[in-house]
Amino acid sequence: MELTRVYHFSSAHQLKHPALGAEENARRYGRCAGTHGHNYYLEVTMRGQPDPVTGMLIDIGHVDEVVRGTVVDRVDHQSLEAVPELAGVITTGESLARSFWDLLAPVLPAGALARVAVVETAKNRFEYAGEGR
Amino acid sequence: MIAYSTRRFAFSAGHHYTVDDWSTERNARVFGRLTVPHGHNYTLDVTVRGPIDPETGMVIDLSELKAVVGETIIERFDHADLNADGAFRSRVPTTENIAIVVWDLLIAKLGEERLWQVRIWEDPTLYVDYRGGGAK
Repeated sequence: MELTRVYHFSSAHQLKHPALGAEENARRYGRCAGTHGHNYYLEVTMRGQPDPVTGMLIDIGHVDEVVRGTVVDRVDHQSLEAVPELAGVITTGESLARSFWDLLAPVLPAGALARVAVVETAKNRFEYAGEGR
Repeated sequence: MIAYSTRRFAFSAGHHYTVDDWSTERNARVFGRLTVPHGHNYTLDVTVRGPIDPETGMVIDLSELKAVVGETIIERFDHADLNADGAFRSRVPTTENIAIVVWDLLIAKLGEERLWQVRIWEDPTLYVDYRGGGAK
């Protein structure tokens, strides 16, 4: 069984490779090379079996606390390029999904995290389920 | 060639979380505000799988799926108190357990060959996916 919690944040970002000049970045990333922003959704999926007494797969209140403290509160209404945890990351949706996975996997209950999805716009969705999966 | 078809349903139901064997204090400590009767607009996504029938071009006639889920799930749980339903007599009506109950009711009608997944949304911020027992 999988349980997914959906979070929301709004952030500014731009796609920019640090080794490339402005012109090359513009050629590679098009309009995404300029500073802009999105209303993001972050979906955190946990895997497990519900406890036979409480009927709960995981303590959702605890998950909320961890995800907000580790990711949401750090990126909401920020420029993603200025977030220390994302230093060196080109902030595409797929790279954000991987970065958020790497931040969340060690602080959520062991083995609970199944998948992270970053929904950049209603048209763009990116998922990451750990190295090699 | 296997394909998947999903149809969405909605029902609104009341519930609260209580373990009968526990004291009021323990229930309050574990479940907090969820011990108080409240309700949700649930969304149910039912996914069936199977070969595409060469004659009809369908995995399943979605009107059949609509009838089965309507009679089995929606008529039973829409505008119901989940705690008063026999299915939840010994089970806290968490989203996880609702997914299990819905799966068990639908597998009896649709069969393991066809039913692939039930997804229950408690609200737009929480959903549970269930594909039957074990690690599926």
